[in-house]
Amino acid sequence: MKVAPEYYDEIFPFKGEWDMESSCGLKIREVDGKKYVIVTELYQDNPGTSVTYAGKKLADQICEAKGFKLEDIIYLECTPNTNSKLSFYDEEYFQVDFFADIQHKYRQLSKEEVMKIVK
Amino acid sequence: METIKLKLIYPKWNKLPGQTTFNLPPHGPVAFAATLPEYVDISFTDENVEAIDFDEECDLVALSMMLTTQVKRGWAIADEYHKRGKKVIAGGISTMLHAEEMVNHVDSVFLGESEGRSEQVILDWKNGCLKKIYNYMGNQPPIESVGPCRRDLYKRELYNHKGVQMVDLFNASRGCRFSCYPCAVSYLGGRKFRPRPVDKVVEDMAGIDNNRLFIVDNSLAQNKEWEKELFTAIAPLKKKWISHTIEDDPEVLDLAAKAGAWYVYQAVYDTSDYIKERVKRYHDYGIGVEGTILFGLDNQTEDDIKRLIDFLGEIDLDLAEFTIFAPFPHTKGHDDLLRQGRIFDFDWDHYNAGQVVYQPKNMTPEKLQDLYDYAWKSFYASETQESKMFRLFCNVALREMEEGTYRPRDRKLINKSFGRDVDRSKRNVNVRVQ
Repeated sequence: MKVAPEYYDEIFPFKGEWDMESSCGLKIREVDGKKYVIVTELYQDNPGTSVTYAGKKLADQICEAKGFKLEDIIYLECTPNTNSKLSFYDEEYFQVDFFADIQHKYRQLSKEEVMKIVK
Repeated sequence: METIKLKLIYPKWNKLPGQTTFNLPPHGPVAFAATLPEYVDISFTDENVEAIDFDEECDLVALSMMLTTQVKRGWAIADEYHKRGKKVIAGGISTMLHAEEMVNHVDSVFLGESEGRSEQVILDWKNGCLKKIYNYMGNQPPIESVGPCRRDLYKRELYNHKGVQMVDLFNASRGCRFSCYPCAVSYLGGRKFRPRPVDKVVEDMAGIDNNRLFIVDNSLAQNKEWEKELFTAIAPLKKKWISHTIEDDPEVLDLAAKAGAWYVYQAVYDTSDYIKERVKRYHDYGIGVEGTILFGLDNQTEDDIKRLIDFLGEIDLDLAEFTIFAPFPHTKGHDDLLRQGRIFDFDWDHYNAGQVVYQPKNMTPEKLQDLYDYAWKSFYASETQESKMFRLFCNVALREMEEGTYRPRDRKLINKSFGRDVDRSKRNVNVRVQ
């Protein structure tokens, strides 16, 4: 389950749950005047907490490291395609609203949205 | 150092309805107990086989929990001890999975493996500076430091069914290099396979007063050379053992059989010839197979599950255990379903792998539940689980008789099952090993 390097511009080390050493892929894109922060789960190359579980804690660390304000960014979580035979490892992108309730916290992006923002 | 009385508790959980239970002596509490200094006097209660005496004298209480279905009971136990002015610490697998909530219910949470670390917790408590969290996640102690468990703490007569002693649980390694979709092991024990030194394994195994073991390692099939060395080294002990997957290699299977492999848990995830052949190859070497069948993953339709159930009749499994996918915290399955808004039940008592707690992709929750119930009934329709287990038991007893290691039933306990009187007016329909 190696994640292809096309999914990220840099590896971002972060403190996960209980300060576990963790890492994710990171891309930052400006599209139509909006700043998109895209974190990618690295599976076997993430020794600690998943990007989803780390959630806002990870977003805060990225903002601090990059000098962003959380309210100024659009935060996307990516579960990358790992070319596994199992469909659970297909590519998906979710926009995360940390201030919404659990039912409205995640919105899956359409392929067209992904193409426009990420590719 | 003056003696400290520690009450060590393994909380009970509600067993799945319709299934009788085999209670195995739990491994986590006695592994933790082995890491405590000698001046700690431990009294152990497994609440699954005996009631807790909350008024038993003790200085400190430790909860050891493995299952998600234990955590709420653990919190209730902590409340009882708090009423009595006692401090409660918690550790174990489900403490790690549910640590965020656990900190609200106990005085201290221990995360990670305890070898070389538990004495500091005791000293902090003694000095009045117990920390809220002892965090060793991702920082495993040297595997060489894992020693024999404190099996002397077991009340052996409580792990006995009609005179037959239950298997002892044993770890030959920790960690797992695989990261399977429904599993949290890589989060808990690290993504690196950490085999124990073989000489230590042999010494530890030899010291167990039980000829039947369950090697509970996540998968033995992680390092072929170590596996071969291990099987060669333990063969002279003449123990008989259950384990998870063994390497699919003739040489390894042969060594495993000679080393006492009794039966293995083998995942049956599709209806392929590979699975059929895999089961046959185990049988060719005299190793029994309990199929483990997981229902409810997103790639399964109703028809797939029905086909899988039918397929089980073709592959000559000795036993089968069915589970419903449960999105345990810190698994990819949990993250995926959470993002998709599909988890509708966050009551941890329901995360028993026999109850649907999320919206399946290709069917209703009710249909998935029905298929699960149907699978149990259908597989054991012609022969009950207890009867199938008895046949496996006879196989191992015969092998032991040939080798001169057979221990007859304990006649004193012939009318007891896990400490309770046997009701011989009832027939058990299904038996579930816990």
